[in-house]
Amino acid sequence: MRGADAVIKVLAAHGVTTVFGYPGGAIMPIYDALYGSEVEHTLCRHEQGAGFAAVGYARASGKTGVCFATSGPGATNLITALADALLDSVPVVAITGQVSTSVIGTDAFQEIDVLGMSLSCTKHSFMVQSVEELVPTLYRAFELAASGRPGPVLVDIPKDVQIAQLEYRAPLIAVADEPEVRDADIDAARALLAAAKKPMLYVGGGVGMAGATSQLRRFIEATRMPSVATLKGLGTIAHGTPGYLGMLGMHGGKAANLAVQECDLLMVVGARFDDRVTGRLASFAPNAKVLHLDIDAAELGKLRRPDVAIAAELRAVLPRLEMPLDIALWCAEVDALEKAHRWDYNHPGSLIYAPAMLRRLANKLPEDSVVSCDVGQHQMWVAQHMHFRRPEDHLSSAGLGTMGFGLPAAIGAQMARPDATVVAVSGDGSFMMNVQELTTIKRRKLPVKILLIDNQRLGMVKQWQQLFFEERYSETNLSDNPDFVTLASAFDIPGRTIFAAEEVEEALNEMLTCNGPFLLHVAIDDAFNVWPLVPPGASNSDMMEEMERST
Amino acid sequence: MNHNLEVTMAQRPEVVERVLRVVRHRGFTLTHMNMRLGEGSVSLSLSVSSERAIELLSNQLTKLVDVTGCHVLPQPMSQSASA
Repeated sequence: MRGADAVIKVLAAHGVTTVFGYPGGAIMPIYDALYGSEVEHTLCRHEQGAGFAAVGYARASGKTGVCFATSGPGATNLITALADALLDSVPVVAITGQVSTSVIGTDAFQEIDVLGMSLSCTKHSFMVQSVEELVPTLYRAFELAASGRPGPVLVDIPKDVQIAQLEYRAPLIAVADEPEVRDADIDAARALLAAAKKPMLYVGGGVGMAGATSQLRRFIEATRMPSVATLKGLGTIAHGTPGYLGMLGMHGGKAANLAVQECDLLMVVGARFDDRVTGRLASFAPNAKVLHLDIDAAELGKLRRPDVAIAAELRAVLPRLEMPLDIALWCAEVDALEKAHRWDYNHPGSLIYAPAMLRRLANKLPEDSVVSCDVGQHQMWVAQHMHFRRPEDHLSSAGLGTMGFGLPAAIGAQMARPDATVVAVSGDGSFMMNVQELTTIKRRKLPVKILLIDNQRLGMVKQWQQLFFEERYSETNLSDNPDFVTLASAFDIPGRTIFAAEEVEEALNEMLTCNGPFLLHVAIDDAFNVWPLVPPGASNSDMMEEMERST
Repeated sequence: MNHNLEVTMAQRPEVVERVLRVVRHRGFTLTHMNMRLGEGSVSLSLSVSSERAIELLSNQLTKLVDVTGCHVLPQPMSQSASA
């Protein structure tokens, strides 16, 4: 068979049923092999859309996402999605066509050094130099993408390798051993837990990625430890768990940030002290000892020195740390903080208050549902005001903060979970960044629901200009947006616009009960900002409270 | 602060680039380097300087898939005394 046929065979051998991509010159043999094969291909309308669809597919399903692109511009367009997958530790295998080996380095048509470009935005990358290397390299790529701390792996395949003949043999791949946990570390961790009077659990995306959600929930049941989560950690701790205070950090809840600042032991699980979480690092949880658990040893001590650190599979470690803790007083204190700082959805007036609308949406979503976010103010409102049953149900570009993520990621999620209700929550800025993917929804007849929250502003930047740049609104006015409902109609997607709070309930119902895709365009006032906010350089205890400009 | 590292790697065309990229990006200045090609492997002796702790670099290098070993050499007495 040809190298190209072997590529498809390796995908099938890894259980890959769906690939996202866009054809072009240097990947034509692979697209030829795809034609009529058992692997289904979803044509996106931009390689970045294909990359994000693969990310959304992976995040919503826990499986490895796969995307294809041709050489040169196809590959460069993929790069942003790979960077996103790197920062959020998402298992993705990207396969790019490359010009033939004989012309690599001659500035051939659509030639760019993709391997060189990949170095800073993938977990690992390969350029296949001979057809003999092809199958073992692809097997290795799948193993690397999903093992340890997951991440994107790129395989660049020159065209002559794709058309060369080979005899297919499945290679034996050495799977890396899981790191062993020393008993002494477990003992030290248990001693820290036993000594703590005010422990807090800080949960990141690593728990969901490790498939350790149930172990973490059992740990919380056993210890009763109060908890907070990062943006990527949302959904890991069940909504309504006693002592769970939601998201911490720059736009975290006040109770969450205050409790973390006051704790005497911070137990960090699958998280990495991101600057959006810690605020001023030197005064983050200043009185706390730190117990840090993560699969990636390079995260331990990277930003905050741990008292005990364990690099291991969370599924194996968490059960060994279960123990009852004598923290009833602290739990009562956390409970009081939670009650004192609950969100207030009482927002009189006829304008639509997005936080209240999103809370209403969360309460309406069926058991099998996915919310895919874009980036900006609406993303933070989703994180603050919605709740999720599992981390796989909330897709958000957390580490890279990539506008344009939401729509293609929702497409990937819908392909992975065809029976789920998938809602893309976007803003008027983000939506336009991958708006071409509306065609993919039309082409695949996907029932993706789009909730477009429109304040005619690049809202988060506008908020910062208002607060920190003396209201000099440089290039953040988007009031020349297109008519979004008309735009959607060009892709056979029905929709409507709402302006008033009294329309929200019925419009959400219409969107959710509609059989196919739907665009609900929600006009909100640009005076609404995201609160609370930890200003840049400040401690998490110094949150700014709501101070809305009246219009 | 100056540090010396010994890094061994699988022989791949881009492997030195990978190591040097991490050195730069993680906030270290390369002050001296010596490369030796072995049987399917590459050894690099690196001298780097930075205000940052050397573990921040060595942990990231260890994490690279093609890096098979990364050792921070002990500081000579004179350097650690002046640090």
